[in-house]
Amino acid sequence: MTRPESVPALTDALREVGYLADRGLATTVHVALSLDRPVLLEGEVGVGKTEVAKALATVLDRRLIRLQCYEGIDTHQALYEWDYARQMLAIRALSEHDLADDGSVDALFGPRFLLERPLLDAVHAGDGAVLLVDEIDRADDEFEAFLLELLSDFQITIPEIGTIVAERPPLVVLTSNRTRELHDALKRRCLYHWVGFPSAERELEIVQVRAPGVSLALAEAAVAAVHRLREMDLAKPPGVAETIDWVQTLEVVGAEALEPEVASDTLGAVVKDRDDLEQVREDLGWVTSGA
Amino acid sequence: MLVGFTTELRRAGLTLGSGDVLTYCAAATVVDVTDLVDLYWAGRCTLVTRREQVPAYHRTFVSYFLGEPGDSRGASPFSPVVRAQALAMLTLPETELLGEEQQEHAAEMGYAASRASTAKAKSFAACTPEELAALRRILRTMQLAPPRRRTRRTTPTRHGRLPDLRRTVRESMRLHGEPGSLHRRRRRLRTRRLVLLLDVSGSMADYSRNLVQFAHTSSRASNRTEVFCFGTRLTRITRELEHRRPDLALDRAAAAVTDWEGGTRIGACLDDFVRRWARRGLTRGGIVVICSDGLDRGDPALLESAMQRLARLCHRIVWLNPHRGDRADFTPDTLGMTVAEPYVDELLSGHDLASLSEFARVLARMP
Repeated sequence: MTRPESVPALTDALREVGYLADRGLATTVHVALSLDRPVLLEGEVGVGKTEVAKALATVLDRRLIRLQCYEGIDTHQALYEWDYARQMLAIRALSEHDLADDGSVDALFGPRFLLERPLLDAVHAGDGAVLLVDEIDRADDEFEAFLLELLSDFQITIPEIGTIVAERPPLVVLTSNRTRELHDALKRRCLYHWVGFPSAERELEIVQVRAPGVSLALAEAAVAAVHRLREMDLAKPPGVAETIDWVQTLEVVGAEALEPEVASDTLGAVVKDRDDLEQVREDLGWVTSGA
Repeated sequence: MLVGFTTELRRAGLTLGSGDVLTYCAAATVVDVTDLVDLYWAGRCTLVTRREQVPAYHRTFVSYFLGEPGDSRGASPFSPVVRAQALAMLTLPETELLGEEQQEHAAEMGYAASRASTAKAKSFAACTPEELAALRRILRTMQLAPPRRRTRRTTPTRHGRLPDLRRTVRESMRLHGEPGSLHRRRRRLRTRRLVLLLDVSGSMADYSRNLVQFAHTSSRASNRTEVFCFGTRLTRITRELEHRRPDLALDRAAAAVTDWEGGTRIGACLDDFVRRWARRGLTRGGIVVICSDGLDRGDPALLESAMQRLARLCHRIVWLNPHRGDRADFTPDTLGMTVAEPYVDELLSGHDLASLSEFARVLARMP
């Protein structure tokens, strides 16, 4: 397992797998790897928070374990669960004689009947994994408190089996869309980085990396248009993911330049709110050409 | 030197424990410390925990490490060239200038919208102590119970719709494999989030004092309450109200709401609220309580579109309009109120204690 030794090395390695990290993000990840701290990424929708974890998994040659959070997620879905149906069948299959034997009963609560969920999986994998806890703000605060405990010592206790400790903790990346404020205690455990919209030059680079084969002129025009859209006070400003989508859409419909007609037809790839669409359509000439 | 920097940051308003300082120093050892840009980011990712703190961190960093050569901290180990390079690289990206500049911009907009805007902090201390004490006693007895909704979490129960396999299997294990009774679970109930949007402009100043008191009691009653103030612009005061002692909380709210008794731009403020908070999911499934007289100096079309969006983003909208008084046959008298009314689920008055308790009753009855 190779680990980039410095911030520039990490940036280059990420670039090789198609992720352009800025200096701040690369430093944060580098520090996280060196200090074994989790990283908390907050930022607008579609600026590549989740992509970071995927790229890191590739760069570090680790397995990506993803835990998508949602309201009501609890330990059974995040940590482990016993396979009750199979246990039930196994009990029925045991004879009177078998039940007298402790071993066969113990086996009922052995690894065979344990369903590993992402967090337990990550603790088992240790530093062979990148654990992505996606959209932590969607889970409720009870889950956050539970996660806090796990993130501080990376050990899980299963009463029937014992305590499982990760020898070297996995790299943990948490993402949040800021639908609610996370607890300070959780933030304190993590390294914090705000992922903002990239500058036009960088976004153009990103587009070229993610959508190779699109003409430079078209990509430039699309990126410039997206930046004008972000200036426009829209309810939902387009993210980088939308820019890439749009450029790819333009390519699919065979556009050679960003004409207002083509832009109008493909606007759905980049503006995803009805009121915004109307607002943009009124100003389409300015958006596409800047004049 | 690093510790000195953190002290400086504390002065700039960041909350830092000694644990954070330790992490920061550890982080500084794994990056190239002679590279100021690395040092900048190492500190930023370990010491900053909120986006709003970024501008303060940035300012402190620039003044501490890149201060004028030959000032009192002359022992700076960085050459002028390194400093110049770092300064060039450390320009804050435009999208991150959320802090002061945007606020200044908003303030300018506010001045333009209303000549009456005074944008000065008004002290809550203007309440007489007797008044405050009496109010507080009564408000404290008022239990605000927002309606509840079913969550995706479950809890064991005698009669539920979901089987509780865990408990069932455990029990059957005790009975040596004999199937016992089937245990059940049901979905848990949880109180809905309550979001209070309080108008603190000139026309509403008389009521806002009581309402901030009320907001404080409400936020104490359940930790799922968010409080915002608006006038010429929108300010979130939930954090200020978190402090346990109401007096302290009120002082802090007064400091945060700088457009006290300015004009009202309800449309613009609600629009801002929808964009910055509601769309991110703050109000989903929640109850939004707007307290205002609907005297809007802005564009009614903006108010309408904001209300329309808000109605789609929350469970119920309650509008408290003190001008309604006790009249049951109240018809909206201001343009803003007329525009907003179709999207409002409950229109109440909230002009005195009796009506506030009526509000609490209505809230508890809501689905």
